[in-house]
Amino acid sequence: MSALVDRAIEAAGLADVRAARRAGRCGGADVARLRTADLLALGALADRVRRDEVGDEVLIHAPPPAVSSGAIVLPDPERELTGLDLLREVAIARLTGPPAARVRVDWTRCGLELAQVALGFGANELAGHIASKGGLPLAQGALLGVGKKSQLRPADVVKREELAGLVRRAGRTPVFARVEALAEAAP
Amino acid sequence: MILEDVLHKLAAGDRLTYDDGLALFRHPDVVAVGQLANVERERRHGDRTYFNRNMRIEVTNVCVASCLFCSFAKLEAGAPGAHTMTLEQAWRELEARMDDPPDEIHIVNGLHPDLPFSYYEDLLAGFKRIKPDIHMKCFTAVEIHFFAEHYGMTHARVLERLRRAGLDSLPGGGAEIFHDDVRRRIAHDKATAEQWLEVHRVAHGLGMRTNATMLYGHIETFEHRVDHLLRLRALQDETGGLQAFIPLAFHPDGNGMANLPAPTAMDALRTVAVSRLLLDNVAHVKAYWVSMTPEVAQIALRFGADDIDGTIVHETIYRAAGSRSPGALTAEQLVRLIQEAGRVPVQRDSLYHVVREHPRAVVPEAAVKVRDRKHAKHLEVLP
Repeated sequence: MSALVDRAIEAAGLADVRAARRAGRCGGADVARLRTADLLALGALADRVRRDEVGDEVLIHAPPPAVSSGAIVLPDPERELTGLDLLREVAIARLTGPPAARVRVDWTRCGLELAQVALGFGANELAGHIASKGGLPLAQGALLGVGKKSQLRPADVVKREELAGLVRRAGRTPVFARVEALAEAAP
Repeated sequence: MILEDVLHKLAAGDRLTYDDGLALFRHPDVVAVGQLANVERERRHGDRTYFNRNMRIEVTNVCVASCLFCSFAKLEAGAPGAHTMTLEQAWRELEARMDDPPDEIHIVNGLHPDLPFSYYEDLLAGFKRIKPDIHMKCFTAVEIHFFAEHYGMTHARVLERLRRAGLDSLPGGGAEIFHDDVRRRIAHDKATAEQWLEVHRVAHGLGMRTNATMLYGHIETFEHRVDHLLRLRALQDETGGLQAFIPLAFHPDGNGMANLPAPTAMDALRTVAVSRLLLDNVAHVKAYWVSMTPEVAQIALRFGADDIDGTIVHETIYRAAGSRSPGALTAEQLVRLIQEAGRVPVQRDSLYHVVREHPRAVVPEAAVKVRDRKHAKHLEVLP
């Protein structure tokens, strides 16, 4: 990694946080300090910790599981957050959560643009409904045309490809959670 | 290593090269590239972040060009959805807002083959009659070149006549991607790259200020983007007349490239950052909220952008291409958007003179809340 990023993390007073996590001291970070730290340095640090602890795969839940089952799910629907607030919350979740925490961003709540950016700030899971551009969930078996010369294809396949592309364009590896395998799907 | 090299070059005042630009676009750590751009942004502007009170008007979408990326233009008058305002209709747009008038009118149109040149002169003059101090930022270089060819004048003559009628500066649209490999495929029947650059060169020679854009995220490559940025940098070396650079994200709805995915937010942030770093002689880089959504524009203020454009009021070009950004933001919303990003809002005029500097503030209420959007969309943005 770049020494530039190292210096930015050090300048933001965050150099000890990664070392503490590597030493197994998780959850001890001073949240108040993280809340006021430079956002990009915080994000870079969270991204490094994410890479250390969970690697580059991004688990995609579409539709989202009914319960979080241990994942830290952001944004909190009860809090109003700006995009910048959300990125900070994601980074803090990564830096203060348990080792290899599942930091999940729900694009239904924040939009896919921000969800993708959050992947650079420590998130390693995405969740949300696969829906039409109008915001309505796509019906089972719905078909979509893709491009003028293409044939109609199942909408969920098309949307899954789009989601996967979104993750790849963030430099990460998409992995879809198998809906039927989600033990957390129902209490 | 590339980031270290770039940092050293910036510190030494050395120019970034084509290869540097390419490496920045390809660098896997977009947040680190953003950090670098943020250093450069803060060196130039500190926390100051500019916006203005402007108003967009598109008086006609009738157009003889057939750009693949355009969802706005209708080729022929009378086609469904085609419109051309009468002068009175256009002027009424301003008259209706004279209780709280904008400082700038930004006009971009289709290339209408049947309007007399006097229509445009009268259009400008009419706005100036209504509000003599309004700044008229009108007609892209593509339009100016079309006027020159269509009405049989030189670029200079077109600009001189329009200036006499009230034109103050040129917007940056129509640049698209300069490289011929792309331009001939997406915009083969309008001003070439050289003609676009020449119009701006002539405008600068007449003492006008202009902006520049780049439409990214369609069929172009990173090489094409770097080439585009360096051509703008070369023009700026020559004339010094560019005020701001505005990266414009391609939106695919309803146009000839609807099969392509839209560029992602990551790409938008990276493009802002690399633009800030490569365009060392252009003072301002805009995060155009209409193009990238207010939320991502707000983040871009930490990735190299120092300007978030204006209130807009009535934008139709991006909306026709599927943008879900609101049609307008109030000045108060823009102030809050900037303050929430930890920056200092500065209301400017069209030539970047300070109108009012707002205080830095931590505002509990967001202009654009994540929660506001949750009912509006699920999977709306295609990667």
